[in-house]
Amino acid sequence: MRRGTRFQLAVALMLAGAFASAAMAQVALAQETTGATGSTADDNQKVVFTWAETSEPDTLNPMAAYSAISFYFWTASYHMPVDFDVDFGAQQPSPEFDGFDSGLVTDIAYTDDAMHFTYTIRDDLVWSDGEPLTAQDVAYTFNLYKNNHAYLPQNYLTLLDGDARVVDGNKVEFDTTEPTSLYKGAAPYMYFYILPQHVFEPIEHGNCPDDSDPCNPKGYGNVPSVSSGPFFIAEYKVGEFVRLERNEFWKGPEPAIDEIVYRIYKNDDAIATALQTGEIDFAHITTPNIFNTLKTAENIDTMVGSIPSFSEIGMNTGSAYQDKEGAFVPHGDGHPALTDVVVRRAIRMAIDSQALNEQVMLGYGVPGDSIIPPVSVAGARWEPTGADKLGPDIEGAKQLLEDAGYVDSDGDGVREMPADSVDPGRPLDFRYFVRTSEQTSIDAAPFVSEWLQEIGIKTEVTALNSAKLTDVINAGEYELFSWGWYPDPDPSAQLALFKCDQRPPDGKTYGNNDAYYCNPEYDQLYEDQLGATDQDARWEIVHQAQKIFYEDSPYAVMWYDPIFSAWRSDRFTGYIPQPQPNGDPLEGWGGISEVWLSLHPVAGSGAGAAEAKGISPAVWAILAGVLILIVAIVLIRRRRTVDEDA
Amino acid sequence: MGTRRYILSKVLQALLTLAFVMVFNFFLFRVIPGDPAALLLRGTAAYNQQNVEQVTHDLGLDRPLPQQFLVYVEDTLTLHFGDSYFLQGQDARQVISERIWPTLLLVATSTIASAILGLIIGIYSGWRRGSRFDVGAQGFTLFVYSMPEFWFGILVLMAFAGGVGPFPSLFPAGGYATPGADLTGLAHAADVLNHLALPWFVLVVAYMGEYSLIMRNSLIDVMNDDFVMTARAKGVREKQILWRHIVPNAFLPTFTLVLLSLGFIFGGAITVEYVFSYPGLGLLTVQAIDSKDFPLLQGLFLLFSAAVIIANLIADILYSRLDPRVRAG
Repeated sequence: MRRGTRFQLAVALMLAGAFASAAMAQVALAQETTGATGSTADDNQKVVFTWAETSEPDTLNPMAAYSAISFYFWTASYHMPVDFDVDFGAQQPSPEFDGFDSGLVTDIAYTDDAMHFTYTIRDDLVWSDGEPLTAQDVAYTFNLYKNNHAYLPQNYLTLLDGDARVVDGNKVEFDTTEPTSLYKGAAPYMYFYILPQHVFEPIEHGNCPDDSDPCNPKGYGNVPSVSSGPFFIAEYKVGEFVRLERNEFWKGPEPAIDEIVYRIYKNDDAIATALQTGEIDFAHITTPNIFNTLKTAENIDTMVGSIPSFSEIGMNTGSAYQDKEGAFVPHGDGHPALTDVVVRRAIRMAIDSQALNEQVMLGYGVPGDSIIPPVSVAGARWEPTGADKLGPDIEGAKQLLEDAGYVDSDGDGVREMPADSVDPGRPLDFRYFVRTSEQTSIDAAPFVSEWLQEIGIKTEVTALNSAKLTDVINAGEYELFSWGWYPDPDPSAQLALFKCDQRPPDGKTYGNNDAYYCNPEYDQLYEDQLGATDQDARWEIVHQAQKIFYEDSPYAVMWYDPIFSAWRSDRFTGYIPQPQPNGDPLEGWGGISEVWLSLHPVAGSGAGAAEAKGISPAVWAILAGVLILIVAIVLIRRRRTVDEDA
Repeated sequence: MGTRRYILSKVLQALLTLAFVMVFNFFLFRVIPGDPAALLLRGTAAYNQQNVEQVTHDLGLDRPLPQQFLVYVEDTLTLHFGDSYFLQGQDARQVISERIWPTLLLVATSTIASAILGLIIGIYSGWRRGSRFDVGAQGFTLFVYSMPEFWFGILVLMAFAGGVGPFPSLFPAGGYATPGADLTGLAHAADVLNHLALPWFVLVVAYMGEYSLIMRNSLIDVMNDDFVMTARAKGVREKQILWRHIVPNAFLPTFTLVLLSLGFIFGGAITVEYVFSYPGLGLLTVQAIDSKDFPLLQGLFLLFSAAVIIANLIADILYSRLDPRVRAG
């Protein structure tokens, strides 16, 4: 045999071998998954609920996490002191689950001055490693969060005076620096999870159960977790999935699912495909157009829900013109017209939130107004009605500007500053920044620009990435920008963002108050609501603060964001939207979410087991056969040619 | 120049380049606008001034730059890049090393396969210049070469993962393996293979055009050389002229391209990884850039640079063997 022919034969054999190996591997795969893929929920096979999003958790440790996705793993595994119910009120025992109470605190007592609180802790819970959950764990967690600056939880503990203490074996008591209603339990203010002391205390001393380096409470990966809920976090593969398994020591209602798998996809196209082919059971989608395609898909149910999130146009209310105060020094080069509340109100009046919702959000969002979204703790939101409402009213906005002396004296369609202003005759020509990573912010810009043009304000739209826009805002070198917030159900943290002392102080340092809004009356209302000892009185103050902010218009809230959910109707049932009736079907806010107990496979659906998918061994075998055939034909033809040449 | 001296000089050059890259990496990522701490927290419920300051402190970014640089140099020399910012508590080296195998499996194998296929098409196309095969191959390779990988990937995803009309879905829509399936041995290999199939196919098709076009043009150049005419005049058979005389001479430019491409395999294939949610180094790089994750970025770019430098070094050394004129001078 000639050298070339030997080489070709070797290549052919290698390829055929590769295909044969692939076929064998597929046979093995088919054998290992026959039970799983062919099972029904009645076959006592492992029932796995698989869902997906595009988000990656930053960490699964409640000490350090700040991404919203991490909460979905904690709602299945950790208790909150006082849990949210489906409408963001305080959780009451649920008749649907034999009086199941997902909260940890059974009774709350406080002194008349509302500065000393005693929480009684239930004694029937066990951690997933068999250790009992006690008041010691609760007090320890309070102090751990507070003294180690846990990023999310410490926000709720700033009023605590000293450490929390255990008394009478099952009670936790603590004092506050001022009177407050926040810890009375009427609303679930403390939005954090109770952790096992016996796990985290050694970590504080550098003894991690895993190889975390450096080993400290924030650096600890928390996988596998020791949990108090029906599931614990068993596995996390960065960029791929998070897997939760059943907590065998869980004494509450028995879940119908054995495992929860969260899969991380990088785009909605892949998620939609995976949902349609049954690779996943449930998905959150972010793209309205892809969501629309799923609405008519077979065996798929969809829901558009509301979440506490909004997008706004922020205005530079005067970074360069405000007085030096505390750490704040005037900086930047924002247009002086925006220091005038009249101009800001005119902009608010010109922006048609309803039209933006229809055109940009395809009608799926909710037109925006206040900085406290409709999805919040019951009673917290104020909503402008009647004469309070600022627009949409282009003519009214024009009149407002005209009356205040902003006129177009040179007829170029752009108004100028009044004669008695700090910069007479300067045209209202604004820089307007949108975010490259947020398509809806880009899509809204042409509408907003056109409306502002109609009232005589010129805008120049520039798209920046988030990092650059943060720098621009900190430097105060803008007039308008588009961004958004994801507030807590309780309004306190959101209101705090716009206090005077939250402004970016010096042109380089970050500050929450990206509109440089500063109103001492607003600041006082914020402090008053913190100290209100009566819940109704607190909501009244919270409403006043929202009204002032709305009237001062440092923000024009464009819309409240929707959450798009889609799921296989033939696989699982038992979703619990939060809030009711159209919210997040996976009940993403709170301590132990009942959805993890209520989800169960549709009878006879075959739902459940993780299904390994691929083409059948027969197809691989056919491919191998075809390849061998082709090589054989080529070799035979070559031999004939050689014989003829000879 | 002697072979040993030539190799030594090339190795020294590579080491110097690597040292420069290491220093450059530190400053490069700090020039990108934006504060990493603010960037990480923005849009989350934890976004407030106190937390930004605390995160800045926890990440060690409140230390003076020279001090940060010294820590970086010390860590990098021990290949310890620190904890990722975005993936808190995860060792950057560990995160990167977990992605190397999936990336190699996808990009290295598809690069080699596309190179082999591209070379074969290019050789036959050039050899039968003007034939129907050549015209068809030219059209095909030009099309796949100019086609956006992202677009082709989405089509493949919809066709073979989603199924079209009566044709069923054949492969998974994304990922590296099926989570929670408890597969081992051959079954696990098959599961990985099934997840690999679609992104691999897209990359092979997308890359083969480049190799084919270069090989074809190079082959046509060499076909006109005098030594080919001499061989014909001496009565050497056409197949021998092609495989023994033309292909080895025409192979040099393609060889360089293949080696350089192999140097870039660690960089992953960002768009294809994105479409198929494949956990490769390309996607990790995008994530790291988005969140200004210095430890991850520094580790990744050092790895990428080292791979390219080593590939270049190998190319230089092998080139000197294939073409002694290079060594001479």
